[in-house]
Amino acid sequence: MDYSNLRRQAASMKKGLFDQGHLDEQFRQVEDLQDEASPNFVEEVAVLFFKDSGRLISNLEQALEKYPRDFNRWDAYMQQLKGSCSSIGASRMKSECMSFKDNCGKGNVEGCMGCLQKLKREHAILRQKLESYFQLLRQAGPTGAATRPVM
Amino acid sequence: MASNAQGSPVKALLVDDTAVDALILSTKLRKFHCETTVAKTGKEALDLFHEGKKFDIVLCDKDMPIMNGLEAVEKIRAMGEIDVKIVGLSADYDATEVFMSAGADAFVPKPMKLDVLSAIIQDVINKKNNTMV
Repeated sequence: MDYSNLRRQAASMKKGLFDQGHLDEQFRQVEDLQDEASPNFVEEVAVLFFKDSGRLISNLEQALEKYPRDFNRWDAYMQQLKGSCSSIGASRMKSECMSFKDNCGKGNVEGCMGCLQKLKREHAILRQKLESYFQLLRQAGPTGAATRPVM
Repeated sequence: MASNAQGSPVKALLVDDTAVDALILSTKLRKFHCETTVAKTGKEALDLFHEGKKFDIVLCDKDMPIMNGLEAVEKIRAMGEIDVKIVGLSADYDATEVFMSAGADAFVPKPMKLDVLSAIIQDVINKKNNTMV
């Protein structure tokens, strides 16, 4: 297998994630933390992020139904998700979080609902793209072994 | 190496209920060879102090369940823990005033950059070294 070609593909994929605005500089900061002691750190962070963010989005959806027009509560849920998005560099998701919070501030239910749908789309897109990226990285690794992470 | 004059590592308490944030920041602290404890709520942090645990620095998120960071900071100071450096953290960029009012020494918006953390840790080391002299 041409591992150097796989690595080039992975690098190109990552560049695309930055160029398309899915990721920002904070993701590079997370990458900088990866070392020999934690060789899969970035992927571990990503897995944890998607697990957490999935749960937070689900909780928020339930809150939208169970607590209509409770903008303070909705905002609090979104605040936590916004923080996670910032930490990993999920730039587009973070933007939707901020738009949602703005709509909470304006008391705009429809705006909130629209932002949540966009957020869910961005979440799914980023998850799929990062899954593909990490899969490629694993294939390009020294062992060539690829085990699917649970995202 | 983040250690004081006697060579012991800087003892850091990280208080954050968001698993991703805690993982990233604790990894950053490990880069500076800090001995890091993680608490998920303000109450867990306070319990550690009640148990007699000592820390050189507390990095405390603001919004947490059960007991938020502001209340935790106030109560840590009320226990007489005036020497420990407390740094407030939040995704809210304008939480400086509330954290300082609660008794924190500083506030840093999340996510904290590595160079910012480096300066904070160095400040803790310098303070401990000056205390030792």
